[in-house]
Amino acid sequence: MELDEFRRGLDGWLDAHADELAPPYEGAGALDEQVAQISKVKRLTFDAGWMRWGWPDRVGGFGGSTLLRAYLGEALTTRELVEPGIASLTEVLAPTMIDYARPELAAVMVPRLLCGEENWCQGFSEPGTGSNLGSLTCRAVRADGGWRVTGQKVWTSLAQFADRCVLLTRTGTVESAHRGITALFVDMDAPGITVRPIGSMHGVDEFCEVFFDDVAVPEDRTLGDEGQGWAVAMDILPYERSTALWQRGAYLHRRLEELIAAAPPGAIDAGALGEVTQLVYAFRARSRATQHRLASGGQLGAETSIDKVMLATAEQALFDLVADAMPLQLAVADDPVDRRWRSEYLYSRAATIYGGSAEIQRNIIARRLLGLGDDR
Amino acid sequence: MMDADERELFAAGVRAAMERHAGSDVDAALAELGWTDALEVDPRSAVSTLFELQGRARVASRALDDVVLRALGAAVDAGVVLPALGASDPPGTRGPDGVTVRGVASGAGAARTALLVATADHEVHVIATADLEVRPVGGLDPSLGLVEVRGVAAPAQADAGGWTGAVAAGRLALGHEIVGAARSMLELARDHALQRVQFGRPIAMFQAVRHRLAETLVSIEAADAALAAAWDDASPTTALMAKATSGRAARLATRHCQQVLAGIGFTTEHPFQGYLRRVFVLDQLLGSSRGLTAELGRSVLAAGAPPPLLPL
Repeated sequence: MELDEFRRGLDGWLDAHADELAPPYEGAGALDEQVAQISKVKRLTFDAGWMRWGWPDRVGGFGGSTLLRAYLGEALTTRELVEPGIASLTEVLAPTMIDYARPELAAVMVPRLLCGEENWCQGFSEPGTGSNLGSLTCRAVRADGGWRVTGQKVWTSLAQFADRCVLLTRTGTVESAHRGITALFVDMDAPGITVRPIGSMHGVDEFCEVFFDDVAVPEDRTLGDEGQGWAVAMDILPYERSTALWQRGAYLHRRLEELIAAAPPGAIDAGALGEVTQLVYAFRARSRATQHRLASGGQLGAETSIDKVMLATAEQALFDLVADAMPLQLAVADDPVDRRWRSEYLYSRAATIYGGSAEIQRNIIARRLLGLGDDR
Repeated sequence: MMDADERELFAAGVRAAMERHAGSDVDAALAELGWTDALEVDPRSAVSTLFELQGRARVASRALDDVVLRALGAAVDAGVVLPALGASDPPGTRGPDGVTVRGVASGAGAARTALLVATADHEVHVIATADLEVRPVGGLDPSLGLVEVRGVAAPAQADAGGWTGAVAAGRLALGHEIVGAARSMLELARDHALQRVQFGRPIAMFQAVRHRLAETLVSIEAADAALAAAWDDASPTTALMAKATSGRAARLATRHCQQVLAGIGFTTEHPFQGYLRRVFVLDQLLGSSRGLTAELGRSVLAAGAPPPLLPL
């Protein structure tokens, strides 16, 4: 399947099934509605085959270039069929399962994620482990031919909806830092797991605390080898900082269009709009190049931190422009459309915090790309 | 199209020409290298390579004239009058007495017997250089060798059209030159940060310094990405955005690198100040980043939509 053929076919199919695919809510919808909408869209696109292109056949895919699935994400976002931040989790978690899970496990599980039957979450951060991932303490110990996990995760997106979790655990000593970490694939309905959503300032409680109290995890749910968890994390992060962002670039472009349409005449400063337009365009240009590098077999690494900084900069600049152009809609209006602008403005404040803070990205750029050496 | 080996060979030749020669010798060396042939065969590789290296080496040449002439499809041996510094409108205004000219040109271009001048209707006129007043610009960066061109003259002939495309081609070339200069500034600041020891360690170990340099690299790569997309897309709007993005990147690079270089970067003993001068003036050629950004904003408002990104 070539990209042009895929694009034409998918666009035609999305047009033909527009009613069936459309979300049942106005504005952004509540979180559970968004999650249900994504599952629905995934199921429909999987059954029609579109969702399967760009994934290897051993996990239920049809093969073909990763650009195909990038275009799918773009098309679904541009048509406002899915919330891109939530939908792109698939793009973050599935590649790592394919690389690190035992082939039999990946073959069973990945199709469930792709077809919308299951939701997964990513258990990385902990109360004492934000930017310094190597210091995590959620412990897994050997027991009964498997693992028992005790500890706490936080900022786990969508854990309240998740069937599985890609979990980083401490299996060595704390002093072993990044060497003593092991990744596990955990069933979220296992006894001993408690999920508590965290109230978030943008009104969408997608982040959670997750507590593990002596949770049994079978040996065959180990991702990679014992002690290889850091490699798993380092494999995920470039995806989180690059390919998953293509969809977010399409979202920013869409919201920029909608801002221009929604703002009262004269409310948008031309110079500020010109700058935001360039920031969004440059980010999308960078992201496009990254997609092509991945599709041609390139390894993604530290340079994806540049993609992430560019995205965060463009996103915050866009919503600063929204705040300047429509301050009253953000401040006092309460209809679903305005509530969505308000929520997205507030969420954009986190763009320099989540997925590796702006400071961490700049540390990576300084050390790995500029060769400035260690900072201590 | 040049293949990878040919591109590398071309880059090595340009690098050598830039390093060994100064002033008009550069143009002779580039001519010997066959730069205008490369421009015909593979404009993207030729322009991006030559102008980035020109920016890095802070050399002045007549290559921008060649780029604009080619985009105009002009078969004459002439210089090109660009809009006055800071302006982006065509440099000529048609009136009863002929064409009123107010613009700038390269020194090498003005040494030609004829100059091409575009007017607001986007017609391009051939005017005898002798009929116009030409004087060095001087100012912040005399080594760029720009001259101011003014006067009123009757054009010898007019060729229709092509000015919009020529401006776009020139903006891409200048964008690459600005990016090259910004990369040189970043290298100077990086080397200094690794060598300069204070409080018993290289200042590169201080996060305040590291983050300035990281931010500089991000903005340079953003400009580079915009330039690459503009080559793929080949529309005047993307070229405008790429030039403006490059200019802003250079402004940021100037601020951060100056701060990291601190005292030594303020002296004429250090090459940094030459780059500061160069990018400031290059930003004013064919529309400043500030002016172009506002122009873009107005056109986006008028169109009701931002320019689309070319497909994946």
